[in-house]
Amino acid sequence: MNRRIALRHLALISGGLALIPSCDFSSDDILAAYENLKVTASQKQLLGDISNTIIPAGELKGALELEVPDFILVMVNDCMTSENQMLFSSGLAAFPDYAKNKAGKKYDKLTAKEKEDLIQAGIDLKPAETPEEEKDRAIMYFLNTTKRLTMQGYMASEYIQTEIIPYSLIPGPYNGAALISETQKPRING
Amino acid sequence: MANLNIRNKQERTYQAIVVGSGASGGWAAKEFGDLGVKTLLLERGRDVKHIKDYPTTNMLPYEFKHRGKLPQKVLDENPIVSKCYAFGEDSEHFFAKDAEQPYIQEKPFDWIKGYQVGGKSLLWARQVQRWSDYDFEGPARDGFAVDWPIRYKDIAPWYSHVEKFAGVSGNLDGLDTLPDGEFLPGYELNIVEKHFAQKLKETYGGDRHMISARCAHINGPHEQFTAQGRAFCQNRNLCQRGCPFGGYFSSNSSTIPWALKSGNVTLRPDSVVHSIIYDEEKGKATGVRVIDAHTKEMEEFYADVIFVNAAAINSNAILMNSTSSRFPNGLGNDSGVLGKYFAFHNYRAQVNGSYEGFMEYTTSGGRPTSGYIPRFRNVKKQETDFLRGYAGGFSAYRGGGYVADARVGMDLKNNMLNPTPPDGPWRVGSHMMGETIPKESNYIALDKDKLDPYGLPTLKFNVSYDDNDEKMILDYQEQVSEMFAKAGFTDIRVNDDHRTPGLDIHEMGGVRMGKDPKTSMLNGNHQLHAVPNVYVTDGACMTSTSTQNPTLTYMAFAARAAHHAVSESKKG
Repeated sequence: MNRRIALRHLALISGGLALIPSCDFSSDDILAAYENLKVTASQKQLLGDISNTIIPAGELKGALELEVPDFILVMVNDCMTSENQMLFSSGLAAFPDYAKNKAGKKYDKLTAKEKEDLIQAGIDLKPAETPEEEKDRAIMYFLNTTKRLTMQGYMASEYIQTEIIPYSLIPGPYNGAALISETQKPRING
Repeated sequence: MANLNIRNKQERTYQAIVVGSGASGGWAAKEFGDLGVKTLLLERGRDVKHIKDYPTTNMLPYEFKHRGKLPQKVLDENPIVSKCYAFGEDSEHFFAKDAEQPYIQEKPFDWIKGYQVGGKSLLWARQVQRWSDYDFEGPARDGFAVDWPIRYKDIAPWYSHVEKFAGVSGNLDGLDTLPDGEFLPGYELNIVEKHFAQKLKETYGGDRHMISARCAHINGPHEQFTAQGRAFCQNRNLCQRGCPFGGYFSSNSSTIPWALKSGNVTLRPDSVVHSIIYDEEKGKATGVRVIDAHTKEMEEFYADVIFVNAAAINSNAILMNSTSSRFPNGLGNDSGVLGKYFAFHNYRAQVNGSYEGFMEYTTSGGRPTSGYIPRFRNVKKQETDFLRGYAGGFSAYRGGGYVADARVGMDLKNNMLNPTPPDGPWRVGSHMMGETIPKESNYIALDKDKLDPYGLPTLKFNVSYDDNDEKMILDYQEQVSEMFAKAGFTDIRVNDDHRTPGLDIHEMGGVRMGKDPKTSMLNGNHQLHAVPNVYVTDGACMTSTSTQNPTLTYMAFAARAAHHAVSESKKG
């Protein structure tokens, strides 16, 4: 990553001349669609993997297949304060190192179960308000935000709201004394 | 500004001009149309046609890019309107943005505006409770403001007239504090709400009640509404998007298309009224000056009678900006009270709690209203060390939903797809709707040195709570907590959200009615005392505020005043 950034800086310094073959860092280009975030293509891929660990595919589709990572980035880009965008971005940037330190190997080398453990541990972090734990605060914020938006993006997706739990614009007449025992629905297995 | 009166004056002459197409202006136009009066209906905002111009009305949750949330940029650019509960991704286009009309807050005031055909009638909470004589007689009995020049008997037939056409659902509750009207079937209270109503009756000897709030929704089909092209309410609770069924009353679904169908009414959107033209020789108003919202050019329109229904604050502003050598301080302002005795409703306090009973029940489906606690404080006599009282909203609901803190992975996924049945207790909540006392020191005025984007003077606000309001908040919290406790509710918590005046969106007064021209602007027929062919029938006319959501009363006032204007013109 450092090499790539250095190369890009070089490219900028040299007036953006195409001295470097574009394929060399194209996968890490900053994605222009999210103008308030400095998110690279590989970071988006990582975010997709994290969201798909939070809600994996099974009998029903998982987060990645429903393009939840795009939704997450749209929401962070459009609906957050710049301070929170910074916190999210630095958490995302710090995540690969966090994975390596915590799990002992690179994130993409982890099993599905190890990824789950790692993300759950990051969600449950309780960092102190000290400069040393600044990174952990960013990790915790990033993962909790990603979890919340994954859940929202998943449940409010066209797939869930048309095929699995159909949404109706017309909820039907009010029943002010509905027996809970009669409102039970058949179990859906994810 | 160029005064391009290129069109023939006769083409710009009508029998009546109505300024503003919200709930009250729409009613004036509808009555004039029915009575054969050639009418120009002016609206400062763009046209919004029923159904056609409700772009979000049938959108599904996943079709909203931000699932209903507004982008941070919109919130940052609109700190005032963003405070309104109804301002969201689905309704943003029906609110005037902050930059549209900047104003000066000498004291904090949240001014929420809907600038389009239909005004805020597309966005209102649709609660329509009648006033009673306990409300109209308030100022005279308690010695504040001035006596209302009218009583319940004057307005009762007009409440009926308006309710029958608009469609009001409610029960015949038989309460003298909240008179019954021309109701379609009322909406059901849920099992806990009924329990609360019953406990109040038992505990307070018939002095305190909780009823199903009357609302401007069509509950059940009815021929009259079919003629308007409206159908019954589908309980969507998406009213702020505009209703494709016309299930709730708005000018757009009801009065305006009806008025246009009469062939007597011309609707002119994008027309910002600058001022009313006063003819000193004739001693009456002869028309209005209008700024085209796009070209910013000024044009004059003429009529025998002018109705000012621009919503309370802008109706004040128009009169203030209508100066002449006869009225240097604003049209009809001989008394000097124009802009003063401005008031609102106090919505600051809430009480919440739990109920452990009826654990086997929940609710299903939707309904467009909830419970209402009519005013019980200081109704028949003075009981407290503050004046007047408050009404309350009330509702009970049962939680449930998915376990958000489940472990990530399949646990979380299965939890989300299988919401747990409600297992916690019922939650109950109430919010206050308090009467505020109009005072000379609560006023709005114009700053003629600072001009808005249309070249009009900006408004400045000097409106605040007072000691009476603070005492009333504490009493509401105490009384409703006691009522909750008597009903067996637990975990009772009170709150004061310290919201700024204005966010109630019930701004009232400044052009108050009264018997004496020395202390009021309007007579009992809503005519300016000094310029009787100018009528004001929106929130600006309110002498006092009482506690009821005020729109129904403005609609009834507008219909009554329109008929008065026509009968006056027949007298010649």
